[in-house]
Amino acid sequence: MDPKVAANLGAAFAMGIGSIGPGLGIGMGVRAAMEAIGRNPEAADRLFTPMIVGLGLAEAVAIYCLVTALALIFVGGG
Amino acid sequence: MLGKLFGIEFHEISMGAEKLFYLGPIPITNTILTTWVVMVLLVTLAFVVRKRISLIPGALQSIVEMVIETVYNLVKNIAGERVGNIIFPLIMTLFLFILTANWLGLLPGFGTITYHHVPIFRPPNSDLNTTLAMALITVFLVQVAGIAYRGLKGYLKEFVTPPILAPLMAPIHLVSELSHILSLSARLFGNIFGGDVVLTVIFVMLPPLIPAVFLLLESLFGLIQAIIFAVLSTIYFSMSTAAHEAEH
Repeated sequence: MDPKVAANLGAAFAMGIGSIGPGLGIGMGVRAAMEAIGRNPEAADRLFTPMIVGLGLAEAVAIYCLVTALALIFVGGG
Repeated sequence: MLGKLFGIEFHEISMGAEKLFYLGPIPITNTILTTWVVMVLLVTLAFVVRKRISLIPGALQSIVEMVIETVYNLVKNIAGERVGNIIFPLIMTLFLFILTANWLGLLPGFGTITYHHVPIFRPPNSDLNTTLAMALITVFLVQVAGIAYRGLKGYLKEFVTPPILAPLMAPIHLVSELSHILSLSARLFGNIFGGDVVLTVIFVMLPPLIPAVFLLLESLFGLIQAIIFAVLSTIYFSMSTAAHEAEH
């Protein structure tokens, strides 16, 4: 296979498959936060910052895939 | 290279920073230049606020006090008052630098003003060297804090915690400490560089109104990433100093 094509395919798969986990994780995190706010609406302000930090951590996994994919596109494949 | 998309050409996206000129043997890249701009902005702000400081705060002083107080409370809540007071200047500096750099990078002119076909300005955090430098400083100081608070013996004991599994656990602890460098730097770099790429592509594909939505999102991400970097650094500090606090 042509190295350029292989690099692009690798980038596509890295991003596509790599987004599944963080997507699920972010969904679960937000669901838990929304349920907590639904039970106790006054806690919304206190829940917001930890939720954002947690989302950032979950999102980081997708960002690693993004970095890998971008490295493959821009640097890999010669 | 992404030089052409849907028949429209735009400036090439490169993963590394582009060299502008040489200062002796040292190449000066566009991210270094932007870092200097951020430094000048922050230092000027600090001097202006310091000069006009008063008991009855004006508008500028109120805003600065509010930002500093919010971050201070955050640090104090995670690391406790004693450790928090020591690490707060570092955390605040990192937070302010990352936030200013991220928001400055969204201004028009970044990536569009060129000098010999090289953009003069580029968001500092879209260069892995900048984020890696900050991560290295943080993780190095976390180790120093660990030694300072628990003593060299206590610090080294952490690496062989179940003593019976010492040969197995030591490499794992070492890798987990070193992985902090990677996770701190790659997260910030990926977010800002990825955001930069997304913005460029969206600007080319859907010019008039849609990019505004993404600009709003990116400004939110810039703030969130600054908070996450500050909070994670604080957590690492409090983890490396916690055992000592628990003994007393």
